[in-house]
Amino acid sequence: MKNVRIWFKKDHECRYISHLDLNRTMLRALHKSKIPVWHTEGFNPHPFATFPLPLSLGFRGDNECMDVRLEDENYSFEEIITKLNACLPRGLRVFDVTEPLMKAGKIAFASFTMLLREDNTSASEICAQLRMLMDSSAITVEKKSKKGIKTVDIKPGIRQYSITESPECAVLDIILSAGSSDNVNPNLLITALQTQTGLEYEVDITRNDLYNSDMELFR
Amino acid sequence: MIREDVEKILLKVQKPGRYVGGELNEVIKDKAKVDLRFAFCFPDTYEVGMSHLGMKILYSLFNQFDYIWCERVFAPWVDMEDLMRERGIPLYALESGDPVSDFDFIGFTLQYELSYTNMLNMLQLSGVPVYSRDRTEMKNIVVAGGPCACNPEPVAEFVDIFFIGEGEEVDLEVMELFRRCRAEGKTKAEFLRLAAQIEGVYVPSLYDVEYNEDGTIKSFTPREGAPAVIHKRLMKKPDESFYPDNFVVPLVEIVHDRAVQEIFRGCIRGCRFCQAGFIYRPVREKSPDVINAQCRALCDNTGYDEVSLSSLSSSDYSQIVPLLEKLTEWCGEEKVSISLPSLRVDGFTDEIMNKIKTVRKSGLTFAPEAGSQRMRDVINKNVQHDELMQTCATAFAGGWTTVKLYFMIGLPTETMDDVADIANLGQDVVDTFYQTPNRAKGKSVRVTVSASSFVPKPFTPFQWEPQDTIPVLHEKQAHIKESIKSKKITFNYHDADTSFLEAVFARGDRKLCKVLGLACERGFHFDGWNDCFSLEKWLELFEECGIDPAFYANRRRSFDELLPWDHIDYGVTKRFLMKECQKAYENTTTPHCRLKCSGCGAAKYGEGVCFEKRSDLV
Repeated sequence: MKNVRIWFKKDHECRYISHLDLNRTMLRALHKSKIPVWHTEGFNPHPFATFPLPLSLGFRGDNECMDVRLEDENYSFEEIITKLNACLPRGLRVFDVTEPLMKAGKIAFASFTMLLREDNTSASEICAQLRMLMDSSAITVEKKSKKGIKTVDIKPGIRQYSITESPECAVLDIILSAGSSDNVNPNLLITALQTQTGLEYEVDITRNDLYNSDMELFR
Repeated sequence: MIREDVEKILLKVQKPGRYVGGELNEVIKDKAKVDLRFAFCFPDTYEVGMSHLGMKILYSLFNQFDYIWCERVFAPWVDMEDLMRERGIPLYALESGDPVSDFDFIGFTLQYELSYTNMLNMLQLSGVPVYSRDRTEMKNIVVAGGPCACNPEPVAEFVDIFFIGEGEEVDLEVMELFRRCRAEGKTKAEFLRLAAQIEGVYVPSLYDVEYNEDGTIKSFTPREGAPAVIHKRLMKKPDESFYPDNFVVPLVEIVHDRAVQEIFRGCIRGCRFCQAGFIYRPVREKSPDVINAQCRALCDNTGYDEVSLSSLSSSDYSQIVPLLEKLTEWCGEEKVSISLPSLRVDGFTDEIMNKIKTVRKSGLTFAPEAGSQRMRDVINKNVQHDELMQTCATAFAGGWTTVKLYFMIGLPTETMDDVADIANLGQDVVDTFYQTPNRAKGKSVRVTVSASSFVPKPFTPFQWEPQDTIPVLHEKQAHIKESIKSKKITFNYHDADTSFLEAVFARGDRKLCKVLGLACERGFHFDGWNDCFSLEKWLELFEECGIDPAFYANRRRSFDELLPWDHIDYGVTKRFLMKECQKAYENTTTPHCRLKCSGCGAAKYGEGVCFEKRSDLV
């Protein structure tokens, strides 16, 4: 038995499916591919797969990963890539398989690229609005949890960022706290910005990479 | 292909994965290289429509032909529809993203009456005129099939062509004709006239209807050489019929998210309330080898780990045990489980139970349909009280602890005592659990009793019957509730309001087109969903149109009345249906097709159960 980490991109149509749907799609592809992965035991055996850090519906994912256990330790990684891609919808593309170097719990940060547009606002204006938001001493948003709505300051969760202007939109590259304890969803930033300006933006968010607490790439 | 204008709204709606396509096994073609584009529209949400087997069959079949590109269209949920209207986005097909108005054919499958408004709403969202007479060009030909096409009259003014019976062949013949007519520069009227000559095709605009003063139909007259009677089409050799080896595998969870394998069409039983039991006659079975091979191909190509054996009554498949044996040979190893829905109370044997148990233990559902033995005899359910108890005991001994029981209220000749017997039957099942010595220890039993309201349907022995009025149905629901004494029994019932509207449209005539047209103008949609349905609003519409809905739902028709669907032939004769209706009044049952032929008329197709060797004759 060998643990492997399967790296894939989530984009196009598949950008619009939830984590649960992604999970189901992946399990079905694993089943169809007949790659010798370990199955759960019990009444309804299914391939065992875990996702180190789920991705929200609507985001593109450039370096997403899923962990499975291979029953055949010598099974070629190349074959996993080819076989799985043949069984996946076009919005999910596997591009690499590695042996995991870090445990999922080590994930501490994630980097995102966010493109923002608004019909009646120029890119440079949006950039200015973003700068104003990022310069404020605290960025408070209302966060829904099981215990009800609470107000949180997400500013401490911002590790670093840059704002650039492209011809059509404002581009925010940002690294945020991620993982099971201090996760900051980039949608919260958008909510904060919308509250500040009263505008409704068109947003396109890509999650680029995951990092550990020392800002080393999660592998 | 996601349209750019759609991409902008996807993150504002619930479950956007329904509106994007891009699934595994979706068929993409080059539109420049196809000659005919068919928009297969399901008048309900993606999750419901994608679960429908007929659509999967026809989608794969049509796309086998290089010259046809068949794409899928579903009704957007209300949040999506609002945004599309606000931004002027037309209804589009999932594969290409092209507007439905670009298509040569716009096909609807009519599975239930309450989806009629969705059909019209989808046409309107496409920017296509809803009335057939307003579409004059050789494009956007609106066609419809499915069980509701057996009484097409309430939607006759909207649909150009109805396909009567099974669609696999007739749909293609009509598309062939369309290509030829278009190449020859013929008009839509000429095309429709020629199409009407194809067996199984009903072109409603070629028929004139006259009414009597009391609102009933006086005459039904074909014009321009259209046939006086339209005969249904059926596939005679199921083993040789097309069956997909591939399904589009949805990205989001749908209602029936599994591979579905058809094992036979039709039903031998002839329960008198059941339309499917009559319109799909005669029973035609696939052989176990064919089913086995098709199941395997489907699982291999989709990655599904569950396959459901589909038919109107799985345990009536004559070779069910050999089939299950063949399937379990590979299913265990491939980690595929088999589910067997539509089990009859008397078909749940130890042998079947053990075969299903090896792979998956789902809940058990039985449909006694009525509480008292007299009532079950009236509807020809042919299930005895003892059989039901025996079956439940078998299941309880096999470890099951939950049983769902389906019933109907409002059946012809029903009394309050019959209704109370529904509760009593539930109690008997609970008692049976505690009398089963080797039941699951330490567990309690849960019995769910579900009661829906009877809707009389065309082509059944009850097609002349009045439906109980809403207050009477409410009274009966309350009576069941009062009669249930055990906490182990959960009671559910269906909303009587929707059943009433269903009854109006099920046996409606062309006068109802006016109501539906107005409903479309007023933005009615998703009447099958509690979120949208409002009986008050419907009653206002009926009143505005000067139409009494009770005329359709609650009126007893006489045997000699000309019915709106009398010009359509499903193989079962009206004489047979009358005889069955009279037998119902006498509490007399009719044996099923394998025991004795009752001469329903379906033998004229020369195939299926009518020509099987019967065990008592061998």
